[in-house]
Amino acid sequence: MKKYYIICTCLMLIVFSSCKKFLDPKPSQSLAVPSTLEDLQALLDDQGTINSRDIASGEISADDYYLTSTDWTALPYEENRRLYTWANDRTSRPSPNDWSYAYKIVLSSNIVLDNIEHIDRNTANQTTWDYVKGQALFTRAKQFLSIALTWSPAYDPATAATDLGVPLRLTEDFNTPSVRANVQDSYAQVVSDLKKAASLMIDVPVAKTRASRPAAWGLLARTYLAMSSYDSCFKYTNLYLQKQHDLIDYSTEITATATKPFARYNKEVCYDSYISNTILAVSRAKIDSNLYKSYNANDIRKTAFFRNNNNGTYGFKGNYSLNLFGGISTNEVYLMRAECYARLSNKDAALSDLNLLMAKRWKTSAFVPFTATTAQDALKIILVERRKELLMRGLRWMDIKRQNKENANIVLARTVNSQTYTLSPNDLRYALSIPEDVISLSGIPQNRR
Amino acid sequence: MKYFYFLIIFLSSTVAIAQNGNKQKTLSGVVVDASSNVPIVGANLHSKKAGLSATSDNDGKFTITINAELDTIVITYIGYKTYQTPVSKKSEQLRILLTPESTALQEVVINTGYQELPKERSTGSFTTVDNKTLNQQVSTNILDRLESVVNGLSVDRYTTTTSGPSNIMIRGQSTIIGVKGPLIVVDNFPYNGDISNINPNDVESITVLKDAAAASIWGTKAGNGVIVITTKKGRFNQPVTFEFNANTSITGKPDLFKINQISSSDFIDVEKYLFSQGYKFSDTSDVNQPPFSPVYEIMFKQKNGQLSADAANAQIDALRTRDYRNDLTKYFYQNAINQQYSFSARGGSADMSWMFFSGYDKNVNELAAKSDRLNLQLSNTYKPTQRLQINTSVYFTNSNSQNGKPGYFDLRTVNGELPVYTQLVGANGQALPVIKDYRPIFLNQAGNAKLLDWNYYPLDDYKNVDAQNNVYDLIGNIGVNYKVYHDLSIDLKYQYERQQSSTNTIYGTGSYMTRNLINTYTQIDPSTGAPTYIIPNGAINDVSNDKLQSNQFRAQFNYAKAWKKHSVSAIAGSEIRSSEDPANSFRSYGYNPSTLNTVYVDLANFYTTQVPVGQQSQIPNIAGFTKTVNRFVSYYGNAAYTYDEKYTASVSGRRDASNLFGVNTNDKWTPLWSAGLGYDLSKEQFYHIEALPYLKLRGSYGFSGNADPSRVALTTISYSPFTNPDTQTPYAFIDRYANPELKWEKIKMINFGVDFATKNNRITGSIEYYTKKGTDMFGATRIDYTTGITSSLIKNVASISGHGIDILLNTQNLTGALKWSTTINFSTNNDKVTDYYLKSANGSDYISSSPLVTALVGKPIYSVFSYKWMGLDHQTGDPIGYINGHTSKDYASIIGDSTKITDLAFHGSAMPTIFGSVGNDFSYKSISLSIRIVYKFGYYFRRPSLSYSNLFDQRAGNSEYASRWQKQGDELTTNVPSMVYPADVNRDIFYNGADVNIEKGDQVRLQYITLGYDFSQNMFKRLPFKSLTLYSNINNVGILWRANKKGLDPDYASGLNLPSSKTFSLGIRGSF
Repeated sequence: MKKYYIICTCLMLIVFSSCKKFLDPKPSQSLAVPSTLEDLQALLDDQGTINSRDIASGEISADDYYLTSTDWTALPYEENRRLYTWANDRTSRPSPNDWSYAYKIVLSSNIVLDNIEHIDRNTANQTTWDYVKGQALFTRAKQFLSIALTWSPAYDPATAATDLGVPLRLTEDFNTPSVRANVQDSYAQVVSDLKKAASLMIDVPVAKTRASRPAAWGLLARTYLAMSSYDSCFKYTNLYLQKQHDLIDYSTEITATATKPFARYNKEVCYDSYISNTILAVSRAKIDSNLYKSYNANDIRKTAFFRNNNNGTYGFKGNYSLNLFGGISTNEVYLMRAECYARLSNKDAALSDLNLLMAKRWKTSAFVPFTATTAQDALKIILVERRKELLMRGLRWMDIKRQNKENANIVLARTVNSQTYTLSPNDLRYALSIPEDVISLSGIPQNRR
Repeated sequence: MKYFYFLIIFLSSTVAIAQNGNKQKTLSGVVVDASSNVPIVGANLHSKKAGLSATSDNDGKFTITINAELDTIVITYIGYKTYQTPVSKKSEQLRILLTPESTALQEVVINTGYQELPKERSTGSFTTVDNKTLNQQVSTNILDRLESVVNGLSVDRYTTTTSGPSNIMIRGQSTIIGVKGPLIVVDNFPYNGDISNINPNDVESITVLKDAAAASIWGTKAGNGVIVITTKKGRFNQPVTFEFNANTSITGKPDLFKINQISSSDFIDVEKYLFSQGYKFSDTSDVNQPPFSPVYEIMFKQKNGQLSADAANAQIDALRTRDYRNDLTKYFYQNAINQQYSFSARGGSADMSWMFFSGYDKNVNELAAKSDRLNLQLSNTYKPTQRLQINTSVYFTNSNSQNGKPGYFDLRTVNGELPVYTQLVGANGQALPVIKDYRPIFLNQAGNAKLLDWNYYPLDDYKNVDAQNNVYDLIGNIGVNYKVYHDLSIDLKYQYERQQSSTNTIYGTGSYMTRNLINTYTQIDPSTGAPTYIIPNGAINDVSNDKLQSNQFRAQFNYAKAWKKHSVSAIAGSEIRSSEDPANSFRSYGYNPSTLNTVYVDLANFYTTQVPVGQQSQIPNIAGFTKTVNRFVSYYGNAAYTYDEKYTASVSGRRDASNLFGVNTNDKWTPLWSAGLGYDLSKEQFYHIEALPYLKLRGSYGFSGNADPSRVALTTISYSPFTNPDTQTPYAFIDRYANPELKWEKIKMINFGVDFATKNNRITGSIEYYTKKGTDMFGATRIDYTTGITSSLIKNVASISGHGIDILLNTQNLTGALKWSTTINFSTNNDKVTDYYLKSANGSDYISSSPLVTALVGKPIYSVFSYKWMGLDHQTGDPIGYINGHTSKDYASIIGDSTKITDLAFHGSAMPTIFGSVGNDFSYKSISLSIRIVYKFGYYFRRPSLSYSNLFDQRAGNSEYASRWQKQGDELTTNVPSMVYPADVNRDIFYNGADVNIEKGDQVRLQYITLGYDFSQNMFKRLPFKSLTLYSNINNVGILWRANKKGLDPDYASGLNLPSSKTFSLGIRGSF
């Protein structure tokens, strides 16, 4: 008898063994489930989500600008005022905020990365397939890096394995709990994503709102710079500059006095995205007066970058995008390479890169190339010029953090309503307070105070 | 094809099984009811000498082993006299006739859709409705007959006004925003088509599975309970029998004057006042040319000097006595007539049984809409060998319906209701035009009067529209039962269903819809005045098709063994189901019904329209395609063990995977299970209560689920209508987020029951108590937005709980020549939300005139809240509310965020918490009479009330306008606020939501009376009938008592549907 039981049982199993495939069809075909490369590219082409929401909190906390007491008092929310004065906590509005914008991009990227695996890669579509995947890796890595730079302490090889880093969300499944990786792993994720992206992407995109191989190299260089890995940073600046090295000659190619001197997608731009925040609006944010004064009268940037408010203050108009530029551009890459040369003791090459850029910034007749006696001197000059070239781009916060790590001793101070707030080097508050509602909804640890 | 392939393997693999030879002798036979010859399922047989037991199968058949030359078999079955018969090894094919102990306690066999089992051996909660009780009512749809007869079943008339399976609640509601309504199973498989396809006259019995032990075998579809419908079947060894049934029902016209509508005279006064205020005068220059009421048009004429004041007043006063409900009642509504005919034949030989059913229904509803339905069923069971049984059946339905006249709710204009005083029909019965979309003045001069007649004539228009809906439904079943061994059999069942539904609507050239569209797009040459038709001057044909197709396959082992005092029965199987439903719709213009030609139209370009004046528009295109696919793979099992016929333990389990669920849910394969215990106390030696010869205790615990096809586990995106300006490619947003954890709602139910029967079955019944707890209920929740999701998400987060009592009592009050029996169904159900992530604490979110789920923790799922009412201001007649401990007339604050939930008055559940029915059956000689009363208690409803903003803007007035506050002192006698101009919407919303408009829903209804006369054979020997019954039925007789003093029918309290009228039926049924 027994054998019949067994036979029947086996037969039953055979009948339903292919059930996994049987359950694959989607329940309703009117649902556009992202199932083609076109669908996935369409998600990445949603500029409103992907390209216009770069994190502003770091720039708001940095020292390129200041607010008047009147403007500060008139800020719409208490959280805005607390962020400006480096409060310990409650510096972020409930969602939507920088955190939600950043992770929305991460989700879009993850949807692309999860779903592209269900699409067959073949000889006919492999270039597109690779490129779509590369873009998603790029957009995710860009957010992870920005999040690390904003909400984690500066990269320090000694403590990176224990410092709290980024919740690395790597799938679209929202049921997976958020867990903060350490800083080491966070940066490692960014680096590996970008390397993979660079290997998959094309060199010249249809539009600069889409990522490309040079964009990945540029972002890799920025990542390594934040990690103080100058060899690697150098390598990728080089790769970038082999593909893209054109600079705008400010003396001939722009009208410095124009309200908006720079075109979006100009030839220095490699990847376009921007920061948009009411606190940083040109009507509010006044450029630090010492910073403004540090521009030579023959430096075209003094006119091209700044708007005279006719009350002794200046606003910033030198952005390369619709709003404050947050993408990848060639001028940043030149300055990164110059810095690497200097740090790797190649003084001449460092100055050569710097002067190549500065020649395009000064009035041609008045430009005198920068000189230095040592690589160390060259580095100092390059760091000053880096600040002057790349202000109001969300990069200053990272620069303060990494430079203070090597004892630059940059002390930030802000005065509103006669009260002065200071932020001393390597203060724990350099890792901003994560929005409190995220902490309560996810249970991830808050930054130490 | 795959299914047949495996079927063949199955068969070939089992054909070669040889019979075990031994020295014992196995006798076989059948146990049948002595009077009806109906096989008895689950009778116990015991061979005295051999000490072996057996149970009769679904056909009453049994095999029993003896080892002595002579033995005696004792046959017992509950409700029947114990029977003993001597047998020998030479006995062949025993036929055992059991006679009932009393005719009252009939054999109750429960059909779960997977197995049939005697009720005595079950541990779960089942309600069965037999053919006789179902036949007491007359209806086209079988579900309509359930509310008044099924224990624990109620019908939700609060959240929806249309009837269907989703309104039926078994033991209250088991979901918050998920799928409502029980699973409906017809002949062993879930029914995918429209349940109205099933002919009630073809239904043999209905079993309702109420608790987890009963329903968990159906897994994730059983959370709301299961209704198992079994159609009529033939039986083996049955002489050929023919049955017929014919009846006609007449339902009266609805009483439109039960609608509390403002009187014509009052409404005219309101309009005159509004006109004096210049209200809506700006509409005269509106490009959409919205219509004004006739009274307004008369007053415009007077204002323009086209009419004298006297003439205008005379015209207006003539309208004061008119009410279009009179025209509707006289010319539109009629008595609805339903005719039902059915004929069936069945019979069976020793190895073959068959059944043929045919039914035809012909209906004309109260608005002259015709429909008919044809049902044909043929089923066969063939038994080539003792081991093999093959069932086949085909069920075919064809139903057609046509459009009728417009009803009360259909006659609306683009900017509100038709004025009450509108005249629909002229003095000679001719159709009159009424206002609809545009001003009559505009229609007369539009397009230099070169257009088609642009008026709407309600009385005639339906004649120009031919809307036909056809449904073809075909269900094919094939089943194979093979007895592998005498206690083990295999069932293979396969069902194919195809329901093809198509709607074809031809809007003729005379129809308003066609004339309106043609006129809208017609271009008039400014110099010649010649019209150019952009939409061809022909009919418009809208077509939509829907082709549901489902395949279901089941393989199941059945095991039943009885030895000594033990008896085990078990089933285990697996099931695979797939249903696909592609649908499409499209429209043809310039359709010529006689030549079937259509005319090409330009759907792409924009044309200047006559109205909206001077705008450009495309010709409407209604093409659309959809397709849904649902797939399930399930494994299930059920086992019951009975010892000594006293103790029964049962377990049941099922796991489902579906393309509706998330991947993780499918991977985990969480089973839904249940367990139950039954204890027949009356069989114990120590049990000596003579007054209560049958007493059984049972309890069960378990889970069932509720899957929602509208929630998907996949990421979906939607494309922007724009193009990315930089890449020149389309771009898309995330629409819904993938949820691999998406799962069914889970309902845990605990059930305790007592079944009992007093001596001679004078009183039989059951008392049951249950609690249920729903977890993983769909609800909105906030989520860690590190996930990238910033909105709240519908997830499996909420919980509900409920408890209740179901009591069923059958009493034999008189058993002499005059027989009188009573059936009492009494149920309570109280539910509440125990966990929910609340989006809003604003009071106004919990008060709405339209039904909504309140989902407030600690309160019933559907709760009735209201604003606290502090009376009317004695100076102004303004309603006074209450905020933060103070009276207030700041209506914006009261209905805004100042009123918290705690500031509201909570009344109670919107669903009846106590409900049931009482049926009395009388018979004297050949006359029988059944009366059924339905009652509902413990719930509240919101009465429709006057809103001045709706009155002004939408012409929607309530008759309580007449009793509004008009002068100081009125506040003592009325709660209706004074009229203010301009109307304050917030004031109206507050008043409509105030506690003075909440009424108790409690009511007792006389549901039906059925009178039958049985021409028994004795009286009419010469008639060739075995039985012949003449019957008449009055359904929906009326309300016997209601709690509200306003004469409102709580079942139709929303004001969105008309109270139904009495139905009178007369019919004849017989067999030969």
